[in-house]
Amino acid sequence: MEVIVYFLILGTALIGVPIFIIMSLFALTAFYFADVSGAAVIVEVYRLAGAPTLITIPLFTLAGYLMAESNSPQRLLRFANASLGWLPGGVAIVSLVICAFFTAFTGASGVTIIALGGLLYPILTKEGYSEKFSLGLITTSGSLGLLFAPSLPIILYGIVAKVDIDKLFKAGLLPGILLIVILSLWSIKNGNFSQKERVKFQFAEFWSSLKGSLPELLLPVAIMFGIYGGITTVTETAALTAFYVLVMEVVFYRDINIFKDFPSIITESMSLVGGILLILCCALGLTNYLVDEEVPVKILEFMQQYLTNKYSFLLFLNIFLLIVGSLMDIFSAIIVVVPLITPIAASFGVDPIHLAIIFLANLEIGYITPPVGINLFISSYRFNKPIIELYKASFPFLLLLVGALLIITYWEGLSLFLVN
Amino acid sequence: MKIFSTLDFLIEKSISAILVVFIVSILFLSCSSIVLRWFQYSQLWIDPLVRHLVFFSTFLGGVLATGKGTHIGIDLIGTYLEHHKLSVAAQIIKIIVCTVSVATLVWLVVASINFSQIELQYGKAVFWGIESGYLVSFIPIGFGLIGYRFFYILLVTVQELVGSKR
Repeated sequence: MEVIVYFLILGTALIGVPIFIIMSLFALTAFYFADVSGAAVIVEVYRLAGAPTLITIPLFTLAGYLMAESNSPQRLLRFANASLGWLPGGVAIVSLVICAFFTAFTGASGVTIIALGGLLYPILTKEGYSEKFSLGLITTSGSLGLLFAPSLPIILYGIVAKVDIDKLFKAGLLPGILLIVILSLWSIKNGNFSQKERVKFQFAEFWSSLKGSLPELLLPVAIMFGIYGGITTVTETAALTAFYVLVMEVVFYRDINIFKDFPSIITESMSLVGGILLILCCALGLTNYLVDEEVPVKILEFMQQYLTNKYSFLLFLNIFLLIVGSLMDIFSAIIVVVPLITPIAASFGVDPIHLAIIFLANLEIGYITPPVGINLFISSYRFNKPIIELYKASFPFLLLLVGALLIITYWEGLSLFLVN
Repeated sequence: MKIFSTLDFLIEKSISAILVVFIVSILFLSCSSIVLRWFQYSQLWIDPLVRHLVFFSTFLGGVLATGKGTHIGIDLIGTYLEHHKLSVAAQIIKIIVCTVSVATLVWLVVASINFSQIELQYGKAVFWGIESGYLVSFIPIGFGLIGYRFFYILLVTVQELVGSKR
């Protein structure tokens, strides 16, 4: 009877019932069958109010949305173009860096592709890149900055896995750079540069664009300096970042009207945050039940029959997470899978910080993995192209990122160098 | 039907306004807390108040996400049906989704009322002398508002389906 009910619930998930409803229904049903009051689920929901780093999620998201709604993308693009546009493949590298910057702030919620896609696509095609390559690059870039501070998935991972978020920010830096370097090299290789006259470096334009975007360019530097230097905590950084961006866009640049635009930016960003945090608090009840029932222990015992060492476990983990990433969004995946995976990974001797980076890198790739990688759908919508075309355009990038993922997975030092 | 749509509109507008006040308060209080700390002066109530404002904002954001239809879900079948212009089938799926959501949210409201009653008896003061029992009473309200919006979407979808068959 119980199994049938659980399968029915799973079935409703496939037809589009929101994940937070599925989590709640699973938890309520499980506690009902165990003769425990449904209040046990709500106890866990309320635990969210006790999470000290909770505040970082709405504040960093607000900062990201404020920048996306302002003329910040255009200013940054102008500066990047002035400084790197003369390089062979420079425009593609600029696109990758700017997208990574925005994704780190907006948490790969699709804002990057929506806000920057329309700007970058004509620039890339004008530069001599094929339509297919340009689409693939923008689709892939939509989740490229996930490993950089202050990305929302890193914070969420830290809260769910109870890992130090400061350390996660440090650990993500080098693997994140590796991904950008690999994609940059691929962009240089694919450029049709012989037929195109290169833009010359002009100091006047470089200086003017630098002055125009300096307050925004300083932001990631200040965040990294604050967190990596141990000057501010993550929570303080989130508050200062949101305040700084607000003052910058409202007072300094005057791109955003405090009365007309700011309220709608708040509601827009908070509907995303609300959706994510609802999943988190409703999932806490379910994971509590799973841990009580020793589900991770049972999975571990089963896996130990087939996986004998850390490396075979890591390979299995990569395959498993790529499948998860292609079927679920990153936030649900973190909330559901992390509590099950962390004790198993610990028993195989995987460092918890390294595990976090492997986990997030996998899910970053999941954004462009067919059939339901969310970036593919967002690009399909944004550029009005059939989804199959996006599958084809993103496939070479997918292969490159899987290659990078193997390096990140089996070279532990890359993630732990800055942490140690 | 007009009463339901008016109520939904009022919920949307009032929740948006409350959310703006909450987020501005969170930002102001968080920054104030940092500045106060520079002067070796701290107010212990700020941290729990801000955390509860974020907690309440979770539900308010959830209410808005319900109205916009942007809750995160694995919509494999719905996406397929929309791509193939099977609008009636997509509407039926939407009705099932909303029904399951409303039923679950009613269950959550009942469970959270039970929890609030327990907290009212045994809870302790969190900030400004306000006991947790009063703070958690926001949970059934939040789930109730989300539930109402799903119920309204359900009504609209049923009406559209009946209208299209005529």
